[in-house]
Amino acid sequence: MHIPDAFIPMGQALVYWVIALIFIALALRWARRSMGEEKIPLVAVLAAGIFAIQALNIPIPWGTSGHMVGAALAAIVLGSPYAGVFVLTLVLLVQGVIFGDGGITVMGANIVNMGVVGGFIGYYGYTAIKRVIGNAYAAAFIAGWASLFISAILCAVELAVAGTFPLALGLTMMGTYHAVIGLIEGGITAVALYLIASARPDILEHPAGVSA
Amino acid sequence: METKQFVVIGIAIALAIAVAAPFLASGNPDGLESAFFSIYEAKPFMGSELDEDAAGAAEEQAVAATGNDFSYEALMPDYSIPGMDKAGEVLAVVIGTLLMLALVFAVARVSARPDN
Repeated sequence: MHIPDAFIPMGQALVYWVIALIFIALALRWARRSMGEEKIPLVAVLAAGIFAIQALNIPIPWGTSGHMVGAALAAIVLGSPYAGVFVLTLVLLVQGVIFGDGGITVMGANIVNMGVVGGFIGYYGYTAIKRVIGNAYAAAFIAGWASLFISAILCAVELAVAGTFPLALGLTMMGTYHAVIGLIEGGITAVALYLIASARPDILEHPAGVSA
Repeated sequence: METKQFVVIGIAIALAIAVAAPFLASGNPDGLESAFFSIYEAKPFMGSELDEDAAGAAEEQAVAATGNDFSYEALMPDYSIPGMDKAGEVLAVVIGTLLMLALVFAVARVSARPDN
């Protein structure tokens, strides 16, 4: 879902950069207040794992593929939507600058779509669904799916505003492909949460309740 | 599990994925590229045949539509090392994974809440 430079006019791309920078500032404020020093190695390992798994495109039907984004997982594990923003901003920075994956002028849009939307939908989706159904892993699956799907819907709207995609067609196609790719996001988010909760239940901000 | 052990296992998993990814990853266009190619008639929405010529033309049409012709030569474009084949892809993803580890560690270190 990495938007390349050509897809959004420069002026609009700057607007997304401004929005992204506001959330990056809020994410840094979250880190200063809530990310304890003991979390530093965990955040680094999580980001490295998310980067690696983003390189693993999994085939879906219709000659298409998709990969995990990981903002929901980071937000759930570290207990804040801003953790998703923090990790994805750095992942997208390296992907864009070193690997040409995702544009430079449009990096703000990619940070908003994947980091901000992924982090917020992932975190609040998880906490709300977990409260209702009581199962942390089912909640992580649904929140992971929703985080990816809604990121894709917002991306389609941005590209319609940009004049690159017609709105209805863009929403249909982005929605269809990412409804399937969301299953990858949800599945890996739930499995990774289970593994982390089994190995180190103490590092989760919101206990997943492995023993239950 | 000790923090040290957790971190070592975590890094090992990340590196294992990084090494395997170039061999396992699908080369198909991702969801956004697929939607883009379909809209610009280089690929059917629910089919898999990609018309390479039409795909190239689509990219030019996008630049013409948005006027954003910013271009940038990345060091390791598309997770590959120019002049190297599969080994270059493995190296690229492994370097990226280690770079992520170092960068995020450094940024987190600077921005984390100090525990006095």
